[in-house]
Amino acid sequence: MRYVASRLGYGLLLLLGVSILSFLLADLSPGDATAEMRLNPRISPGAVAALRVRYGLDRPLPVRYVRWLRSVASGELGWSVAFDAPVGPLLWRRAGNTLVLAVTAMILAWIVAVPAGVWAAARQGSWGDRLGLAASAVLLAVSELVLALLGLALAASTGLLPAGGMASLDYDALGGWGRARDLAAHLALPAVVLALSAFPVVHRHVRAAVAEALESPFVQAARGNGIPRRRLLWRHALPAAAKPLVSLLGLSIAGLLSGSVLVEVILSWPGLGPLLLQAILARDLHVVVGAILLSSVFLVLGNLVADLLLYWVDPRVRGT
Amino acid sequence: MIRGVITRGVITSRRVSLALAAGFLALLYLGALGAGFLAPYGFDEQDREHTYAPPVRLRFRDGGGRLHLRPFLYIGVEKPGAPGVYEEDRARAFPVRFLVPAPPGRTGARVRLFGVEEPARIFLLGTDRFGRDQLSRLLYGARISLFSGLLAAGLAVALGLLAGAVAGFRGGWLDQVLMRTSELFLALPWLYLLLAVRAVLPLDLAPSGSFLLLVAVLGAVGWARPARLVRGAVLSARGRDYVLAAQGFGGSDGYVLRRHVLPQAVGVALTQLALLVPQYVLAEVAMSFLGLGVAEPVPSWGTMLAELERYDVLISYQWMLWPAVLLTGVVLSYHTLAEHIRERLQAGEV
Amino acid sequence: MSGILRRNLLLAAGLLALAGCGSPATQPAGGAAKADDGPRRGGRVVAALGSEPRTFNPVTAADGASLSVIQAMTANLVHIDRQDQEAKPALAERWTVDDGGRRYTLVLRPALRFSDGHPATADDVVFSFQVYLDEKIDSPQRDLLIVGGQPIQVRRIDDRTVEFRLAEPYGVAERLFDGFAILPRHLLEAAYKAGTLADAWGTDTPPAKMAGLGPFRLRERRAGERLVLERNPFYWKKDKPYLDELVFLTVPNADAQAVRFQAGELDVVDRLSAESFDRLSRGGARRGYQLTDAGPGLDLNFLFFNQNDLGNRRLPELRRRQGWFRQTAFRQAVSAAIDRGSLVHVVYRGRATPLNSHETPGSHWLNKTLPPPRYAPDEARRLLRQAGFSWDAAGALHDPAGERVGFTLLVVAGNTERGPMATLIQEDLRKIGMDVRIAALELQAVLDRLFTSYDYDACVLGLDGGDADPNPSMSILLSDGSHHFWGLTHGGPPAPWEAEIDRLMKTQIAERDPAQRRRLYDRVQEIVMEQRPLIALVTPNVLVGAKAGLGNLRPAVLDDHLLWNVEELYWRQR
Repeated sequence: MRYVASRLGYGLLLLLGVSILSFLLADLSPGDATAEMRLNPRISPGAVAALRVRYGLDRPLPVRYVRWLRSVASGELGWSVAFDAPVGPLLWRRAGNTLVLAVTAMILAWIVAVPAGVWAAARQGSWGDRLGLAASAVLLAVSELVLALLGLALAASTGLLPAGGMASLDYDALGGWGRARDLAAHLALPAVVLALSAFPVVHRHVRAAVAEALESPFVQAARGNGIPRRRLLWRHALPAAAKPLVSLLGLSIAGLLSGSVLVEVILSWPGLGPLLLQAILARDLHVVVGAILLSSVFLVLGNLVADLLLYWVDPRVRGT
Repeated sequence: MIRGVITRGVITSRRVSLALAAGFLALLYLGALGAGFLAPYGFDEQDREHTYAPPVRLRFRDGGGRLHLRPFLYIGVEKPGAPGVYEEDRARAFPVRFLVPAPPGRTGARVRLFGVEEPARIFLLGTDRFGRDQLSRLLYGARISLFSGLLAAGLAVALGLLAGAVAGFRGGWLDQVLMRTSELFLALPWLYLLLAVRAVLPLDLAPSGSFLLLVAVLGAVGWARPARLVRGAVLSARGRDYVLAAQGFGGSDGYVLRRHVLPQAVGVALTQLALLVPQYVLAEVAMSFLGLGVAEPVPSWGTMLAELERYDVLISYQWMLWPAVLLTGVVLSYHTLAEHIRERLQAGEV
Repeated sequence: MSGILRRNLLLAAGLLALAGCGSPATQPAGGAAKADDGPRRGGRVVAALGSEPRTFNPVTAADGASLSVIQAMTANLVHIDRQDQEAKPALAERWTVDDGGRRYTLVLRPALRFSDGHPATADDVVFSFQVYLDEKIDSPQRDLLIVGGQPIQVRRIDDRTVEFRLAEPYGVAERLFDGFAILPRHLLEAAYKAGTLADAWGTDTPPAKMAGLGPFRLRERRAGERLVLERNPFYWKKDKPYLDELVFLTVPNADAQAVRFQAGELDVVDRLSAESFDRLSRGGARRGYQLTDAGPGLDLNFLFFNQNDLGNRRLPELRRRQGWFRQTAFRQAVSAAIDRGSLVHVVYRGRATPLNSHETPGSHWLNKTLPPPRYAPDEARRLLRQAGFSWDAAGALHDPAGERVGFTLLVVAGNTERGPMATLIQEDLRKIGMDVRIAALELQAVLDRLFTSYDYDACVLGLDGGDADPNPSMSILLSDGSHHFWGLTHGGPPAPWEAEIDRLMKTQIAERDPAQRRRLYDRVQEIVMEQRPLIALVTPNVLVGAKAGLGNLRPAVLDDHLLWNVEELYWRQR
């Protein structure tokens, strides 16, 4: 318990550090949230200067940081220049949408990749194994953006799935069951694309870890004792391989909010992705820092979960 | 008996795939180094009459049905009013010639392995939007991408292996410090750092400069993930009885680490390496967007793959997929090599 | 409406069509009107936005997505017809001009009502202009209302009549009033008095708290996803709008917009790329949509050299190269060496027009006596040789001092139009011995160099048209203009030809005789062609698409290409 508390304490420190560094780095990079307006001939230079004053962008870095901290303390999480609105409400709903997508994709990826990896480890060098490796090599060689575009092409040419968005126009008129089906239809494409791009990583790590466990002395011994192959794989080898996989799971959780940006942009998923990308390009700093912090929270939690799981899986580690 | 045959079968097929993988990679690296000789054109030679021209058809049989030993081709002519649709002009056949002199150009090559007489062009893998030969660009692009991807991934994994092994093996405060630092690295807005870096650099970066920058940045940023994974593997190895036993028998930390723990971690590290190489080739696209990649007209596989990210290119021009095909081959080959190294390590041969 | 009197920068970042150009669209090449019983009520049109609107406040809105939505919810006193580019009565049913063009008296239509049913009167007009003119609010539109250095005076005469007084006559006259949405005083006065008007009508505002005089009003917003607008029952045009609903989906990626249009999820699509247009053309009849190539638009792509006075900045190399950039012959040579035909062919698949000066064929203000641009590398060599440049044995160009001629070409990274243009120009200029290096930087880094550090050699940019009128080009052409990119700072007085442009532009803005104005502006285009302060490249065609059966659709070259007459759109019997 004390361990968890101290980890969460570290987590807070991490958030603080990340926010300070974000402000510092953003200050070093060219442009600010009003620079784009400077280019817009619709807006006079005087108006841009006035905006800079209004948002306090003309103030020194420490002043801006303290202002932001105060705004975070009040729950606003900063102020978006682009939307002229507090950052918090901008983020919450979109973060929820992103989580729906990312969690579905993660579950999909792990459900398929873990058995596939275990199976491949048990039959190394077989044609099935090679096929799996080749498939994951292809998936690694094309970016997820290309995968998303291919998904889009598929949806457009078959008409089986909607080509983007999260809900049909008549979503509100649907009943509970209809809404669930509508959401599932819209979720299918982006979730599969994301799961495909995550598949090679999970598949390869599972395969490598299980392969190694199969060669470890105790599994060899168990095999010598005539334990059936299937039981050997799932009851002995997989648990023995669990530890590096748990670390990987932690990293997957950590990436939940930040891993789907491009897929969301291509498939018009109303999540954090489009907002974040726009904010980065427009230097809408508070939105970016807000999103980074949210994502860091997941990072801290993901790694904490991973470490706790490590303890739980292997009592021997507890001694340390 | 039967089992033995199967095992031997697997072993031979493994040898074969190892040879294939090594051969493929060797060919690619040689091709990259010898691009000046192998590529039929310079990487920047535009032919604006042949934008997105499909791969040329090499022929052996002419209109009269006669067979030729030396392959030949016809000129492709864009159909008026139909951009991107080419028809062969059968009026004149252009035989493929070997060891042709190269015109002076940016690439400095003197002699090329093969070519055809102007005005015909030999586009074996088709052309891009500017009518540049895909094959030539793939060869020259491999110079940057094959090396930068491997070097950057190697750097990241080496750093990660070191940090992860130390953290997992020593535990305690060192573990805490390293792991919390890795979290910081995972969470940081690198984009801003890169933007800041770009702002202080001169406007025109030489390709060699971008190359080193690419490797350094990707490697330095990327160590955190492998470090966490290696640590997981080390923790599990350290708990094993034989490791505890080795420690009990008074094996030094260094000995135990080297003899028992690292081999466990190396599996994870090699898997990461095989995963990171293609990721880092692709990462170059993002870097180009920030102005840190390789600038036009110098090709890299990353920028060639980025072409695929335009819907119409992906759907209409299949030959633009070649960089993805080659990269798939590279991934598979690296993986096969990594597997082999891991097995050797576990067998204690290193 | 959309602040039409200014040219705006084309920012679309290729992959992500993020900034600026998120136009919505409706469309059907109305041609082939079959047996049609005339407009029918009902139905909805679904359009796409490239990014989310940032505000619903007409006073502060400046981004394309916000302006597109606001346009459907508000109305102006006078409306520029997007088809014939003439000013037409809107909320003002008639107007008179006297006092030598200094006084405008506008009479509102009778019985106008906002979309919440509240009557709209001259008081609302006066209130609106008071807000637009308020220095504290600093509306982006404000300085359009400063004529001859003085703010326009607005006065109520009676319930339906408003008088505007200008310090000087103004050439664009009543076009001025297109671009200023009339605001509901009853809803916004409290915020104005409290000094919070600039923050009013953010995207979270409940629909009931907003009202306008446009054909539609907001019904529902799902953050990041879509906006649903419903018919305004109090709209002032009889029986209009015909549609019950107008829906804007957020589709950030331009390719995705084309695909979702193809899949039937969008009814209209604007600003198609030539590739998408050609691809969609291949399945048109079967799919049930129509595509329209509306011809050359108003967008301008151009290249310019950095001629800014560098003051005491330490950029010795650039200072040396500026010696070339400031030579007219050098700029003329670069212009002659660029093969605009291949820009049209390679970048726009033939759907574009080469330019010789900054005005485009989409505008009737184009000087038609200018010759079309000519690709003449020999002419370029001649010009350079005359200016003392020479070539070495390898064909590389050297200046009279023996320095190798080369420069970097700045371009916004990821841009699918200007990026390829830079690659083609690089190759064209290599042929006359210039060593051009392309520097593709992310937008903000480009801005920083253009406006702050002046650390660049040359740049390729795109501007949208604003209005088919000379005035949108003022801030670019005037030597002290805020967007006079190539010379934002000056070492000395402007050159004679620059002074002439200044004088011509300032004369034409006050000139009320269109023929005389045209003569003045024709001369400006000539000077730009001769001196090449900006090297005009090409203008793409306006490419749009719409589902078959959408009546009254008349794609225009002026923004908004498709939805400009959204109140007239209707679905034919299906």
